[in-house]
Amino acid sequence: MKQQRKVALPRYGEYNCVLKYIVEQGFEAQCILPPPLSRRTEELGARNSPDLVCTPFKTTLGSMIEALEAGADTIIMVHGACRLNYFGELQEQILRDLGYSFEFINLSLYNTGKIKDILRALKVINPRCNMVKAGRAVYDAVKMVEHLDDTTSMYYQNCGFDPTGTYPKIYRKFISDMYAARSLADIQEGYRNANHAFADVVLEKNPDPIRIGIIGDYYTVMDPFSNLEIEQKLADMGVEVHRLMNITNDMLRNSEKNKQIIIRRFSEYSMGASSTTDIWQAQNFAERGFDGLIQVKSAFCMPETDIMPVLANLSREYSIPVLYLTYDSQTSDVGLMTRLEAFFDMLEMRKKVAP
Amino acid sequence: MEETGGNRIPAIGIPRALLYYRYGTLWEHFFRALDVPVILSPLSSRGILDIGARLAPDEGCISLKMFIGHVEALIGKCERIFIPRYSNYGYTDLFCTRYEGIYDQARNIFHTSGQRFITCNIDVMNGSPEPKAFEQLGVELGFSERESRQAWKEAAGALEQEQRANDRLQKELAGKPGMKVLLAGHSYVLSDPYLGKPIRDYLEAAGAVILRTDALDPITSRKASARFSPTCRWLVSEEVVGGVMLWKEKVDGIILVSAFPCGPDSMTNELLIRRIKGVPVLPLILDIQSGMAGIETRIESFLDIIRFQKGEMV
Repeated sequence: MKQQRKVALPRYGEYNCVLKYIVEQGFEAQCILPPPLSRRTEELGARNSPDLVCTPFKTTLGSMIEALEAGADTIIMVHGACRLNYFGELQEQILRDLGYSFEFINLSLYNTGKIKDILRALKVINPRCNMVKAGRAVYDAVKMVEHLDDTTSMYYQNCGFDPTGTYPKIYRKFISDMYAARSLADIQEGYRNANHAFADVVLEKNPDPIRIGIIGDYYTVMDPFSNLEIEQKLADMGVEVHRLMNITNDMLRNSEKNKQIIIRRFSEYSMGASSTTDIWQAQNFAERGFDGLIQVKSAFCMPETDIMPVLANLSREYSIPVLYLTYDSQTSDVGLMTRLEAFFDMLEMRKKVAP
Repeated sequence: MEETGGNRIPAIGIPRALLYYRYGTLWEHFFRALDVPVILSPLSSRGILDIGARLAPDEGCISLKMFIGHVEALIGKCERIFIPRYSNYGYTDLFCTRYEGIYDQARNIFHTSGQRFITCNIDVMNGSPEPKAFEQLGVELGFSERESRQAWKEAAGALEQEQRANDRLQKELAGKPGMKVLLAGHSYVLSDPYLGKPIRDYLEAAGAVILRTDALDPITSRKASARFSPTCRWLVSEEVVGGVMLWKEKVDGIILVSAFPCGPDSMTNELLIRRIKGVPVLPLILDIQSGMAGIETRIESFLDIIRFQKGEMV
């Protein structure tokens, strides 16, 4: 029998468990998890990437190298609406120039607007796979994404107000359940358990906590390593952290056209990639009376740079403070902490002056 | 139009930056065919760039800053500033997100100025191809659909003619004796009087024959690019990449000119450098601080390398 493929996707937040589920349950191949992102990943990526490319390119490249070191022989790369479309081709070239040998599934190459071509790409993972089984796994995986996003947003909204310190434990247990899930029942059970456990914790939350909305580019805002765990840091200061940007909201239940209509005062047309969603989210947070907004973006991210003037206008109109953060591979914890603390203090004072 | 009361057609201002250098002929001919008076912003200069750099987001590319400077130069000088939105010509011909957002971005930057803007939305994937977009533009200016369509046809013809003439000129230049250097880059960098002209002047003074990727027939270039790099889908970058692929054997050296920090260029140029073998390549990134001296030194030594390779220098 032909050997199973060892498939890997670069690390992307906690979403690797979803790919693991699809590959293992749907395609009966093996999924290699690259090691968690670290300084080494970033250095490996930055050393081999062009200077002026955005940070996610460097991080994912580093993660690919680590996946290959961990024994992967097939790498999947996704595509997107900005430079992400071109990530795959250049990263493959860089890896080949480094001398690695592997199969590269660049979904951008198969992105022709026809579903048939995407199925063709998936056939590469396992040519004899059962498409019905694969379809079912994808369906389960969608549920997993929804549960993962739901639990994550629940976690960051409340963990700052948990006096017992059990919240992180529950969340970590939930994540490891998702990595271990082998069926829809496992996924549902993990989700239920986490929800029940969260409900059992008595929170010490005042009725009007400081609420901060976080927006930003697809990768940096969703990946805790890349944004230096900004959500956890804020939560630890006692902030209710909200982030609408996740795969559930932005891909599974997205309605870009309607969002565009809601924000047309600020932006009449889509400004590319995550811009419409981001502006909509910012407006949504502002209308719901949030205390502040933080824009998390990687250095050289084009759409996020372009929406900065829009956010500035939005900030003026709703009089909501915005903190613009740019992450490159050198950004350190300390600098970030200083800025977050100052921002937090300012929001706290504002609340006292004009409740 | 309403506020002037009469039949006077509002003057349109066109910022002479970014896609003006790629599609300007089309725009100008379109307005001319409709008899709409057009004013252009002044030629690029240090002053315009400085104003743009002050107003635009810090992390934007120089071309964006230059563009915003040009828009600023037109504020109050015309009734509406024309900033078309180029999004895509279908699945394989996208534009850098900057051109997609530039209309809304400028509107937001000059939010308080009271200046009116007008756009033309080219977005094939969402049902707004070029003819329809210009038709709508014409209608918004008070012309009938037929008049607008006719004007677009004339303008599109003019652009095509210009491209053909440019392409012919390139082929003639390629036949000339002497050291041939291919300038690869966006036309808004190469043609810009402040950014690209000093480079061209220097090369000319050094006796090189300059060939340019943005003067080649765009369709042929795009086909060549699709063969070389199938997932490169930015229309303008395809023309650069394709141009390099078609001409790399016929020239003595290639200079990849890019404006800091150009998103598409940062990746396509890297791929070109990795895949092109046998021709000297100089990646040249123009930034806001660059005086000409540093660039001259780099070009000078690059030309020396070419001469050395050709055996003209020992």
